[in-house]
Amino acid sequence: MQDIFVSIILPAAVFMGVLGVILGAVIGVFAKYFKVESDPRVDLVTELLPGANCGGCGKAGCSDFAKSVVSGENSPGKCPVSSPEQVSSIAQALGIDAGESFARRAVVCCGGDMEQMVRTPNYNGVLDCASAVLVSGGPKGCSYGCIGMGSCARKCPFGAIEIINNLAVVHRELCVGCGTCAAVCPRGVIKMVPADADVHVYCNNPEKGPDKRKVCKVSCLGCRKCERYSADMFGTNGFLASVKYDADKLPTASDVEAIGCPTGALLTVERHLQIETNDPEYSEDENK
Amino acid sequence: MNYLELTVGAVLVNNFVLSRFLGICPFLGVSKRVETALGMSGAVIFVMTLSSCITSVIYNYLLVFELAGKRYDLRYLQVLLFILVIAALVQVIEIMLQKLSPKLYQALGIYLPLITTNCAVLGAATINAKQGLSVLQATVFGCFSGVGFALALLLFSSIREKLELANPPKSLAGTPIALITAGILAMAFIGFSGLC
Amino acid sequence: MKINNSAALSFKGGIHPSGDGKNLSSAKAIESAPIFERYFVLLGQNAGKAPEAVVAKGDAVKKYQLIAKASGFVSANLHAPTSGTVAGVTTIPGPMGVPAQAIEIVSDGLDEAVEPFSAIEWQKADNKVLLDRVAECGLVGMGGASFPTHVKLSPPPDKAIDTLIFNGAECEPYLTADHRLMIEYTDPVLEGAAIVGKILGVSNIFIGVEINKADAISELQKLADKYGIKIVPLKVRYPQGSEKQLINSITGREVRSGGLPMDAGCVVQNVGTAKAVYDAVVKGLPLVERVVTVTGEVVAEPGNWLVRIGTPVIKVIELAKGVTANPGKLILGGPMMGFAQKSFDVPVSKNTSGILLLSKEVAVNYGSGSCIRCGRCVSACPMHLVPCLLGCAIEGERYDLAAANHVMDCLECGACAYICPAHRPLIQHMRRAKAEIRRRNAK
Repeated sequence: MQDIFVSIILPAAVFMGVLGVILGAVIGVFAKYFKVESDPRVDLVTELLPGANCGGCGKAGCSDFAKSVVSGENSPGKCPVSSPEQVSSIAQALGIDAGESFARRAVVCCGGDMEQMVRTPNYNGVLDCASAVLVSGGPKGCSYGCIGMGSCARKCPFGAIEIINNLAVVHRELCVGCGTCAAVCPRGVIKMVPADADVHVYCNNPEKGPDKRKVCKVSCLGCRKCERYSADMFGTNGFLASVKYDADKLPTASDVEAIGCPTGALLTVERHLQIETNDPEYSEDENK
Repeated sequence: MNYLELTVGAVLVNNFVLSRFLGICPFLGVSKRVETALGMSGAVIFVMTLSSCITSVIYNYLLVFELAGKRYDLRYLQVLLFILVIAALVQVIEIMLQKLSPKLYQALGIYLPLITTNCAVLGAATINAKQGLSVLQATVFGCFSGVGFALALLLFSSIREKLELANPPKSLAGTPIALITAGILAMAFIGFSGLC
Repeated sequence: MKINNSAALSFKGGIHPSGDGKNLSSAKAIESAPIFERYFVLLGQNAGKAPEAVVAKGDAVKKYQLIAKASGFVSANLHAPTSGTVAGVTTIPGPMGVPAQAIEIVSDGLDEAVEPFSAIEWQKADNKVLLDRVAECGLVGMGGASFPTHVKLSPPPDKAIDTLIFNGAECEPYLTADHRLMIEYTDPVLEGAAIVGKILGVSNIFIGVEINKADAISELQKLADKYGIKIVPLKVRYPQGSEKQLINSITGREVRSGGLPMDAGCVVQNVGTAKAVYDAVVKGLPLVERVVTVTGEVVAEPGNWLVRIGTPVIKVIELAKGVTANPGKLILGGPMMGFAQKSFDVPVSKNTSGILLLSKEVAVNYGSGSCIRCGRCVSACPMHLVPCLLGCAIEGERYDLAAANHVMDCLECGACAYICPAHRPLIQHMRRAKAEIRRRNAK
């Protein structure tokens, strides 16, 4: 027994031990001479960020944003995806002010699915919105509305956009407001609105009412009915009504009911989804 | 053993990736861009040469020794030992890279530490030991094994850059089609067998 | 006159569309269109900046009266096509698929004209006078790009121009407007060409004509010597009429990547523009009408008409006795480079060389498959690009790769898409990439 210990185990252990010490020393020396100053706070912040690398903050990705937060260039609140709790935890970790947080959501300002809109002669090009606008503008008659070929849906990092009957619809419970879709949309139909805004004008066509009516049943006619109801909440830009998102009070479902938009372009998000999904029972809460 | 035979054998005939099937992990992982593939190739050639040299010195001169009139043969420790040496080497390289070329360091990412457990590097050391190569022969063999790895990686990464533009069936897109391609590439390398 | 095909000049690449449909209208003489009730003169119909309207709602206008003034150098004047009242600047379906602004004129049926400009004796006139006249009359390239002619005729002084080429190739299938123009207005075309040569100070003037228009070649050759113009028979090959290909066919020169014809010492104009120059200089008439081919398998009586700018397309189709079957597609221009239209209310503009109604059998959607790397597009591309690689790169949104492979040199001639056995929408991909790269470069 002792023989085995002396002849096999001991030399092996000693040999490996000595080698380990030597290599450890070498690494130690290298680590000293090639030391790189790195800020551990950057890694900390990166860890606290959502890590979706969506680019909604304008930076190349989450670690890039973390660097800018640590250097003081951006406040943590600039991340559109983080919840207020996440933002405050980053601010706490760094001991700085969270900064103004602005939660946004995307909304496709168009209600013209294939049943509502006039169809144009067959489009047989590439099924991609940016390509379609370059030739004749896809299968729908309106030159301002959603083309419905899903360039935004393919780009959404969170899978929040669904194409229903050739119309992009944002599922608000999945949307985090990174703005990727709004940047991709060649028609600029997707708008970034405050997260608590519940009522939108689902039309993007600035032309005169009768012209719009020719191409789409659910266009905003510019009748100013909503503006007369409350000039604080609604405005009209040319022939297109708009919700004043920066006003103190945002319109609600009861306001929509009281106004009674003649074409149904003014809708709550929930009602819009109900119409598009053809599901009378559709509710955001159930879908969560 | 002839040095020419040794080099041609390491690069083409017994290519580490395509005929010994060692080092498949970085082969698939770092081959999406030619640029990162080049960086990885450089790192692997460097590590393989150095580790082959050092492990062969240890294996040939330090593992069999006489102490107090007793002969000790510790060659059974080779796998343990090789891993230790390679791990330390990679650690040193990582530290150096971080300082000297942060861009390459970022690009290689997780794959640099992965060289530690890269079977190709360990394989080179083990083959050296098994074939009883001298220190110089082992160094040359290690270096050209690295070159063989680099060749395979470069070929494959340039194919994959083209593959990225192709439109394969959905179930084959991504890694599956890459693996099929790697298989075809390996078959092509069988053509070198019998060269030496 | 029979011309040997092998003696005709050509460039490398290109295609020969089978059944080019030219026989539908090539024998039909040009007829003048009557006056219609309404005209819509598009404001943004020239390349560059759109001119500004100088008339307002309710104004009475006469034929040839200025209705929109060029805003800046790269812009062109617009003139009233007939006499009547301006109904305002209205938004109508534009030829590019998006709504466009147009001056609407309600005709009074009298067609009263203002006094034309004075005729210029061009042989003795100063170049500046001639150039001003060309600009005043609102001339633009009538081949398709509608680039203001006066800009093209004032090359920067550091570019030595030694060759002037007129494009009478009319390589697009179906179109015969230039063909008829060369036969029926031979002298005006040649004299206009000589005037342009005088403006540029170039005596080396060519008119390139594809040899399938043998009658036009012989007509031109009868009178060409009078003006010292050389008529060059060209092989029937698409896109023979494209600037860079025409230069290569006739002079053997190559325009460098990203360069303009003037870099190769050449200026290329359409024969239609030559006739417009003649009208402007010798007759003093602004550009208010052009020859339009109305054709297609479903058109009852295809033909060529001299149509006022601003005439709604539907009215011109009615001139051709309408259609015999439901058309599959309406295209302004030729089938290769023209634009498919959504509406029949689009007006004729200065560059509308044809109104094409394709039958449902021709305008069929084949659906597109994956690239099989057969390389037919590579041999067809007149710019010597690699369309198959570009198409795949753009599909994968690798615009950097597309730019590195010179997608910006693409002419969008459609030869690759025509020849592709997988029916890949290559041209749409190219346009997408070009738009995207321009957008990124502008940033």
